[in-house]
Amino acid sequence: MPSNRLAPIRTLLSRDRETVAEEWASDVLRAWERNYPNMISQDETRHQMGRLLAEIATLFADHDGDTPPKIPADSPLPGLAGEISASRAKLGFRPTDTAHFVIALKNVLTRHLVRMVEGSQLDLVVCLAAVDDVLDRLALMTFDAYVEARERVIAQQSLSLVELSSPVVRLWDQVILLPLVGIIDTVRARQFTERLLEAISRYEALVTIIDVTGVPVFDTGVAKHIMKAIEAAQLLGTRIVMTGLSPEGAQTLTKLNVGFGEVTSRASLRAGVAEALRMIGRRIVAIGG
Amino acid sequence: MAPSAATPVVPTRIQITEQMDIVRARAEAKRLVGLIGLGPSDQTRLATAVSELARNILQYAGKGQCEISNISTPAELGVRIVFEDSGPGIPDVACAMRDGYSTSGGLGAGLPGTQRLMDRFEIDSRPGRTRVSIALIRRRL
Repeated sequence: MPSNRLAPIRTLLSRDRETVAEEWASDVLRAWERNYPNMISQDETRHQMGRLLAEIATLFADHDGDTPPKIPADSPLPGLAGEISASRAKLGFRPTDTAHFVIALKNVLTRHLVRMVEGSQLDLVVCLAAVDDVLDRLALMTFDAYVEARERVIAQQSLSLVELSSPVVRLWDQVILLPLVGIIDTVRARQFTERLLEAISRYEALVTIIDVTGVPVFDTGVAKHIMKAIEAAQLLGTRIVMTGLSPEGAQTLTKLNVGFGEVTSRASLRAGVAEALRMIGRRIVAIGG
Repeated sequence: MAPSAATPVVPTRIQITEQMDIVRARAEAKRLVGLIGLGPSDQTRLATAVSELARNILQYAGKGQCEISNISTPAELGVRIVFEDSGPGIPDVACAMRDGYSTSGGLGAGLPGTQRLMDRFEIDSRPGRTRVSIALIRRRL
């Protein structure tokens, strides 16, 4: 005779599904509303949770025997769970708050099963083990999806940071400014060099000011990247004025034996702008002065 | 003068596996130099040296670690940093310590420059283990 110890779970998930869904949703929504007021759509969340619960019901309904059901490869469960947790991750939920929705379901099911299973203690233990097993695996899946979604957000952010961090600014006719800010690695060096060269040819720049005030550490790697950019820029016919090197930075560069031989350097951006204007035969004067 | 309560005595160990670890290592080194009371010039010196050596680890060995310690004594203020990796090693240390020598198209100023920046510099390299120890030492005023 086939054993049927998991029958109470099937009953619970079909006959009492609405009760379970309601208890689960109100538990989860209460916690989420408290921590993230007005950030979630109640209807959408209920809908997502309803679909997830329906799939869990199907999983148990299609399953025979006392062992916990395996989640088949083609099951929509991982996708659904992942969808819920990825959308939370994008809203900035903490991982614990995101995982809460699976754990809350476990609590609801456990509470009902303890009341329902009237047979032996063993029957209850088998039921609870099955619920634990399925929901634990679901929790792990949601965690994976959460991390993945967060990593995508971070990757996008660092990409937009790279985009933002080195704009080439047109300062005056034929004078452009490249303010360098932050870490200069190979990727960023290539990106700002490209932009710089493009801007030099577009504005027919005679003078290019490279401001390094925002470069935290000037080591030989950074120096090499900047030198390469300067070499390429000079080939396009622009003169370079470097500004913003700190006194400590200058001292360190000397020790490193790194010299920017041909390059005009000014301590401040103000002095650099004056020098650049002088190079194109302009200067700033007071009105009527 | 005894070290103040805020001055750390436990070394900080930082794993170096990616670009951000270089930033962490040099920020930590800079912080410690500031904490023992040295000025911006020495902070920049050590941060630059850390940047060079940590970048070498990433570039040539792929990964490694550094240990930043406060080695101040009643007579001197000092920070020591030991870099270790288990990469291929430097084939010819004497060559690598000469200006303008690079196996990777760099400026070839990293190691000799770092030595000039630092007050102590020791290097020991063989295949499978490279160890560079640097220190910044200032007499207490």
